[in-house]
Formats: sequence, structure tokens, C-alpha cells
Amino acid sequence: MVLDTTNTVNLPKNLIEQLEGYGISADSIFISALADMNLDCQYEPCYIIVCKDKLVMALGTTKKRETHIYGKHRDSSKLFQSYQWAVKIFDLNKYDSLDIQPLISGGVLFGVKDENPVSLVAFSGSQMGDFRRLVNVYNKLAKNEELTDEDLKPEDDDIFCPKCGAIYPDRARKICPKCMDRRSVFFRMLAYFKPYTGKIVVMMLCYLGAAGLNLVWPYLNGTVLYDKVFGKNEEFLRFVGLPAGKFTVLLAAVVLSMVITKFIGQVLGIIQGVMTAKIVPDVVKTIKSQVFDSMGRLSINFFTSRQTGSLMTRVLDDANFITGFFIDGLPYFFINVLTIISTCTVLVMINWKLAIASLILLPLLTFVSYKLLPRLWHYYGKRHRASRSLYGQLNDNLTGARVVKAFGQEDREIKRFERYNSQMRDAELSLVGFDNRFYALYSAVQNIASFIVWGFGSIIVLYTGDLEVGMLISFAGYVTQLNGPLDFMSHIFRWWAESANSAQRIFEIIDSHPEVAERDNPVHMPEIKGKIKINNMTFGYEPNKPVLKNIDLEIKPGELLGIVGRSGAGKSTLVNLISRLYDPDEGDIYIDDVNIKDMSFKDLRRSVAMVSQETYIFMGTVAENIAYSNPDATPEQIVAAAIAASAHDFICKMPDGYDTIIGSSGRELSGGERQRISIARAILANPKILILDEATASVDTETERAIQRSLDRLVKGRTTISIAHRLSTLANADRLVVLDEGRITECGTHEELIKLEGTYYKLVQLQKEALTIRGISEEDI
Amino acid sequence: MSTIHCQSKPKGTEAKTEQSAYTDDILKIKYITKGNAKFKRTPGGFVSLEFEGKFYSRVSVYRAFPFTNPDSFISIRQPDEKAEEIGIIRSLNELDKETAEIIREQLNIRYFTPEIKKIIDIKDEYGYAYFDVLTDRGACRFTIRMNTSSVIRLSETRILIVDIDGNRFEIPDITKLSAAELKKLDLFI
Ligand SMILES: Nc1ncnc2c1ncn2[C@@H]1O[C@H](COP(=O)(O)OP(=O)(O)OP(=O)(O)O)[C@@H](O)[C@H]1O
Ligand SMILES: [Mg+2]
Repeated sequence: MVLDTTNTVNLPKNLIEQLEGYGISADSIFISALADMNLDCQYEPCYIIVCKDKLVMALGTTKKRETHIYGKHRDSSKLFQSYQWAVKIFDLNKYDSLDIQPLISGGVLFGVKDENPVSLVAFSGSQMGDFRRLVNVYNKLAKNEELTDEDLKPEDDDIFCPKCGAIYPDRARKICPKCMDRRSVFFRMLAYFKPYTGKIVVMMLCYLGAAGLNLVWPYLNGTVLYDKVFGKNEEFLRFVGLPAGKFTVLLAAVVLSMVITKFIGQVLGIIQGVMTAKIVPDVVKTIKSQVFDSMGRLSINFFTSRQTGSLMTRVLDDANFITGFFIDGLPYFFINVLTIISTCTVLVMINWKLAIASLILLPLLTFVSYKLLPRLWHYYGKRHRASRSLYGQLNDNLTGARVVKAFGQEDREIKRFERYNSQMRDAELSLVGFDNRFYALYSAVQNIASFIVWGFGSIIVLYTGDLEVGMLISFAGYVTQLNGPLDFMSHIFRWWAESANSAQRIFEIIDSHPEVAERDNPVHMPEIKGKIKINNMTFGYEPNKPVLKNIDLEIKPGELLGIVGRSGAGKSTLVNLISRLYDPDEGDIYIDDVNIKDMSFKDLRRSVAMVSQETYIFMGTVAENIAYSNPDATPEQIVAAAIAASAHDFICKMPDGYDTIIGSSGRELSGGERQRISIARAILANPKILILDEATASVDTETERAIQRSLDRLVKGRTTISIAHRLSTLANADRLVVLDEGRITECGTHEELIKLEGTYYKLVQLQKEALTIRGISEEDI
Repeated sequence: MSTIHCQSKPKGTEAKTEQSAYTDDILKIKYITKGNAKFKRTPGGFVSLEFEGKFYSRVSVYRAFPFTNPDSFISIRQPDEKAEEIGIIRSLNELDKETAEIIREQLNIRYFTPEIKKIIDIKDEYGYAYFDVLTDRGACRFTIRMNTSSVIRLSETRILIVDIDGNRFEIPDITKLSAAELKKLDLFI
């Protein structure tokens, strides 16, 4: 037996040295785990180490006050450098076995000697995986069983970015957004505009033209008008090639050029507007469909971990914010940047002293907004979250309206709504408050700039003569012209803050990789036989809280397997895993000897159909609902499926028959009717593997019989997994499996399980008794 | 096949079978009191219980209302996976001091939740938030996932924080935090 122990030693350096002093070499260590608390709930590191023939406990103490760090450590050898280790070494027979008593998070490790449990150390939830593995290794060694490399394989440890140490947002992808994806949100957003380069060039030209005209305008109505025309400047007359004294003509020419300037400006504006209108909706559409696309790809977990209402606001609101910004914001941003730069240049050219005086406040302004920007972001994020929970609450209320009314809890719901509503208001208030302060600062700086121009400018005109009056007017015109763009720049920060926030969130959805993802080169299996094999599978919805434990199960093609078990035993979870709505934490599931992780989604979904416990009716007609799995189904097929599901009768009795609109805003169906539509849907899908999760729980026994009979016909040559509490539902099952607390406790035919006199037997007895109570009382009458 | 009866039968005429007695038993709360039970610390650091003539060498303690009523309705269960209930303690105050102390010790470790006294820093980045705090157990750092229910408002002022590994932290009263600390926490509440 040669075991690979190279990866197992992740102990502090000083501890390893100390251990070597005691004759325990690093490569004799099989496994170790860090208990980060003692039994009095104080942070105190204690390494539990299992070697070839020893159990070591190393308790760390230090004089310094150290910060306790939860979670995995990137480099364990550097940990606890300043600690002293009190090492205790035991033989492996010190305890017959080790075990874990789970806590709310984390657990207590205890050893069992002669049936007596002795608690050893406690650890936080972060260490649970390590301790599970350690316990497994110890118990195998104690029982003299062979260890495998699998037992010693460390858990997926590389969850940190090696560069910056941050946790990967997506553990499967191992991409650190900070280190890898340095493209900022902005440039990523901009990338959406790439296909429209031609139009954008035209737009840019328009901006340039407009910015140029902006430069001409103050010059015309300042210097030219006042100094040259009203000031009767003969030189200028000669310069433009007019005969001497013809100032009326000059005036007409100047006015005309002013009109033309304005006119061209308007035309450029229109062209640019048209271009914008052409580009932006397309881009927005792309973004929206990308978001929706990724939402469709995302795993079930994504949807259950977020409120549906908040998802909707997210997509709609965010796309709209971004639309707004890119329609109105970005183009003006360019125009304004150009204007600011060129205007400043001209100002410096006219009179650099005055220019410096009036522009001195600009850098200050930029600095202030740069400083305040993150704060603004923060307030926007906060308001968004508030609105999200408000919508979520609203959504909950609307969908749960029936329950609310049934229990007469309208008032309480209103109060609850009030709470979210005031949270929203508070968020809005603090946002507006901050925004106002921000804006006030801007106006102040602008006003001061204006004072400086006129005051300082008048002095120059009066005393130095460096400047003519018309020039000053032009100058003031330029400075005023700066106000608009500057104003806008302060605005665009807010705007940008808001839409970048939205963009970030949208990218979050677009980027979020489904936890359950299709492999790159999936195996295509057009025809499957329907064999299912589950191999030592463990799964939990939350970390370290397994719902299914070490499930081993093999289902033959064409078999009808019944699953029974207490509510909450994990039955639905098991079938969810078979249809790959989630992936197992450990172990694998095979269909026809192909790991379902390798199967293409299309083939998997086509081969496996599930009638789930929670029926779902889409908005649409009955026929559409039944044909959901196969939109090309002929009416004949639809009716046949409905008949097989005993749904035909009630559908025909509805005035609109198969064209009745059902779903959220349509006609309401009874629970059993919904179930039957779901069954028809599954039947029409014609899958090789059919899963019925309490599929007939809400229909009466007679209808169930009818469905059963048609299912019997259907399940021929089809693997069927049927979950039921009512045992009569499983009367035809070839084999039955009893799930208890996430483990398969019994498995066999009805007769075998009866003979076993276990849980199943008890269930049968109970249900029989339940029926005979009736029987007895009937006779009593 | 039996025929269908539609008449309603007067209640009480039904024979009490063993079955219904069994159900009745399940439906009653089985209280563990000072009088009928004996808890003991085991040498191994666990708790044993003698109750209704049975001896349990190790039991687990669960709170039924861990946040709203931590000292009442303590469910005593089997320590195995099934965790079948043995009985319920209505209130720790009804037990003698010594026993209450034994139970409390077990509860404290099971519901280990450091109280955050001071927030030194919170950094949020790419979907995770990194907390650097001072708790009643000492300084510590942990990481939570943003965008999920990692921060739970137990009441207007009380907050529970669950980190990526399921570890829990509590802020008993956020109004006691300083303005600067609140500002850091602002993002999450
Ligand atoms: N999305 C989820 N997130 C977290 N826990 C879950 C989730 N779904 C189910 N659980 C938990 O997993 C356990 C098993 O649930 P499952 O739905 O598989 O039970 P079941 O055997 O189908 O029960 P029933 O007979 O009532 O349908 C339960 O304790 C349940 O609370
Ligand atoms: Mg279920």
C-alpha cells in the first residue's frame, strides 16, 4: 500500500519541527484537521493529527492576542507562528472510534472508548469537511481497514485567488475578477457598441462639429460683434474682404453667420439623435436578452435563493437605467468633454491670466467629486436593495394573497409593507440628501468662477487694456458655456454611478455561472435504455448539512421503483438530483453508465421527465401547457396524453376546452386538475425515465386508479420512479426503497420488505389499520 | 371493495383502538420536569438523562425558539441522526440550578454564536464581504456572501450574520454601535 501523503500535511512550520523532534515525520502523517475552538467555546487552535500509528493532539497557546480567522487558510505553514504547542501523542487504540456531534454550525469531535463518548475538541463550520475526513480515516485505521487515496485526498482547497487571496466568486470557475478581469464595467459596457462602429463614427463627427460650433458662437457674439462691428474696426473689414465703411453689410454678414452656426448646430444635433436612436435600442435588447438567457441557464439554486420579485426588478430596472445612461448620458459626455477641453484652450489663448483665475477651481471640483463618488455609489446601492426588498415583499403578498385573506392578516401585511416602504423612503432620503449637498458644492464653485471672470476681467479691461470689452464678453460667454458641461459632469457622475451599479448587477447575472453546468463536450445519447445507477452519493442544500447521505442505488431499465419515507426524508431531493437540478456534493449518478454530469442537457432533459410535487402551470392555454415539453405535438397527441392522464374529461367540460387560458391570470384549476395537466405534460414528453413525485397525491382514489392504469401501460419499457405517501399508489412497483433521514434503509420487493418487518412493514400496517378503523366502525353502526 | 358511507357518525362511538391511542401519545407534549428526570454530566463531557425509567447515556439539547425564547422549550433528543425527541423542558428556570447549568453548558456550545462588539472593518468586493470584528470571544475575521440572506434581521435592532461556512455571529443591538460602525454595516441592513 503506497499512499500519497504529500498533500496532506498543512501544518504550521514550527509544529512540524516539534513533531519531528518527537519522531513523527511529516510524511507519516495521514491527515490533520484544525479544531478552532475549545470545549468552553473560546478560540484556541488545536490540531488533530492522524499518523500511521498515532493520534496526535497539538494545542496551541500564545501570549499575543491573535485575530481568529474563520475559514480555510491559504498557507497553513505560515499560521500560528508565534504559538507554543502542547503536544499529546496517543496510540491509535486510544479510542475505538471517533465521531462528530454536529452543532448548529461546526461540531464537537469525540472519541468512543468502550461505548463511552469522550468529547475532545470543538470546531467551527469551516472545518467540518476536514473533520469528516479525519474521522473516516481514523475509524478505518482503528478497524485495520485499507486506506485509499480517495480517503486522503484533500477537499477542494484552491478556492482562493493565488494572487490576491480573495475567494473566487464562483468556485467552479476559479477566476478572480479583481486579478483577471481588469476590464472595467465601463469598457465592458462599451464593448456592446462595437458592432455599430460606423454609426458611432458619424456620431463622433457630429459631436466634433457641435463642439467646434460651440467655440465659434461666443467669439461671434462677443469680440466680433462688439469689438469689430460696433467698435468699427476697419482692419477687420479689410480682413474679411469688405470695402471700407460698409459696417451694415458686416453686421448683416455676422448675424447671418450666427444664424448659420445655430442652424448647422441643430442639423448636427438631429443627425446625432437619429444615430443614437438607431444604436441604443439594439444594444439594450442585446443586454436584456443576454440577461434573460443566463437566467434561463442558471441552476435552480439561483432562483430559490433570491426572491422572484427582486429578480424581476433587477432585470427590468437595471436595463432601463443603462438604457437611459447610454441614450442621453454617454453622447453628451463626449460632447462635453470636448467642449470643456477646447473652451479651456481658447480661454487660455484669449488671456491666460484671466483663464487661470477662472479655471483654478476646476481641479478642486474634480477632486471633490472623485472623493464623493464612492459615497454616492453606496447610497444608490442601498436604495436599490431597499426597492428590491419592497418589490419582493409586494410580490410575496400578491402571490400569497389567498393565504393572507384566509387568515385575515391584511393589517399585519400592510404593516410589514410599511416597514419596507419606510426603509425605501429612508434610503431615498439619504440619497437625495447627499446628492443635494454634492450639487450645492458644484453650483457654489460655478458662481465663484463667474464672479472672478467679471471682477478680474473688468480690472484688466479698465487698467491694463490687455483686453477689449467684446473680448471680455466672449470670455464670459466661454466661461458660461463651461457651466453647462460642468453641470452635466457633476450630473453624469451620479448618472454613471447609478447605471454602473446597474451594469455591475447585470453583469453579475450574465457572468454567474450556473452551479449545474453542461460540460464542454457533452456526451450525446439519442437513445437511452433507462438504467440508473447512483454511487455513494451525498448531497446537502447547505454546506455541511447533508440531506442525502451515501446513497447507493441501481435501477434497472424498465423498472418501476417506488420510494417511500417520512416527509422531509429527502425523496424529492433524490429525484431532483437524478434530473440534475442540483449536482451531488459527493458521488455520482449514471444513466446507462454515463455520468449525468457528462450528458448533454438536451438529451438529459429529453430522457428524464418529472411530475414534481409542486405543480407548475404556465400562462397559456391548456393545450400549450400540455405540449410544453414538445411544442410540435399534434392535437391528437395532446388529447391522447390528456386522456392517459385522466384530464380529458374535465378539460372538455370547460367552456373553452383545450383553449382555456390557465396560469397566473387565467382560469383557476383545482389541485388535482393541475396535477393531471402536469402528468399529461410528462406523458407527452414521452421520456425514457419518468419521475412521479407525489404526482397523484391530490387526486381522488378512483381517478388515481385510472391514471395508474394508463401509466401502467405507459411505463412499459420505461424506467419509472414513483414517490408516494399513499402506498396503494405503489401497488405495482417492482421494487421499493425506503428513505429515512437521507439514507436508504430498506430496499426490495413488497414481499421482501414485509418479511423484513421494518419501516415499510410498519407503514403498511399503519395504513391498513387506518382503513380498518373505518371497517370496524362501519360494522358498529 | 367496501361500499361508500356518506352518513356522518356521531363522534365518540368509534372504538378506541391501539392505533388512536398511539397517535394521542404522539400529539401530547412530553414535559421533562424537575421531578421526573435526572440529568448528569458524563465524564466524557456530555449529558446523560434518566427519564421515565429509561437511561440515556448521551442526549442532545435543542432550542425550539433559539432567538425569541432561548431558555424555554428545550427539546431533549437522541444524539443520533434521527434525533428522536425524548421530551421537552418547558423552561430552564423550572429546573434546579445545577441541572439548568448542565443544560446551559450544552446549549452554549451547540448554539455557539459570538456577539459582535465592535466592527473594525468591512470590505465588500465581487460578491463577498470580509468582516473584521471584535466579538465577546476575541477578535475575528470572517467572510460572507453578498446577495443572499447572509444578514438576517431578527428584529428591528438585532442582527444575525451567517458566513460562507454557516458560522453564526450576532449583533444583539445595532443601536449600540457607533455611527462609524453603522455606516460600515449600512450596506447590509
Ligand atoms: N431548496 C432547499 N433548500 C434548503 N433545504 C431544502 C430545500 N429543499 C428541501 N430542503 C430540505 O431538505 C430535506 C429533504 O427535503 P425533500 O423535499 O427531499 O423531502 P421529501 O422527502 O420529498 O418530503 P415530502 O414527502 O414532504 O415531499 C428537508 O429537510 C427540507 O427541509
Ligand atoms: Mg417531496
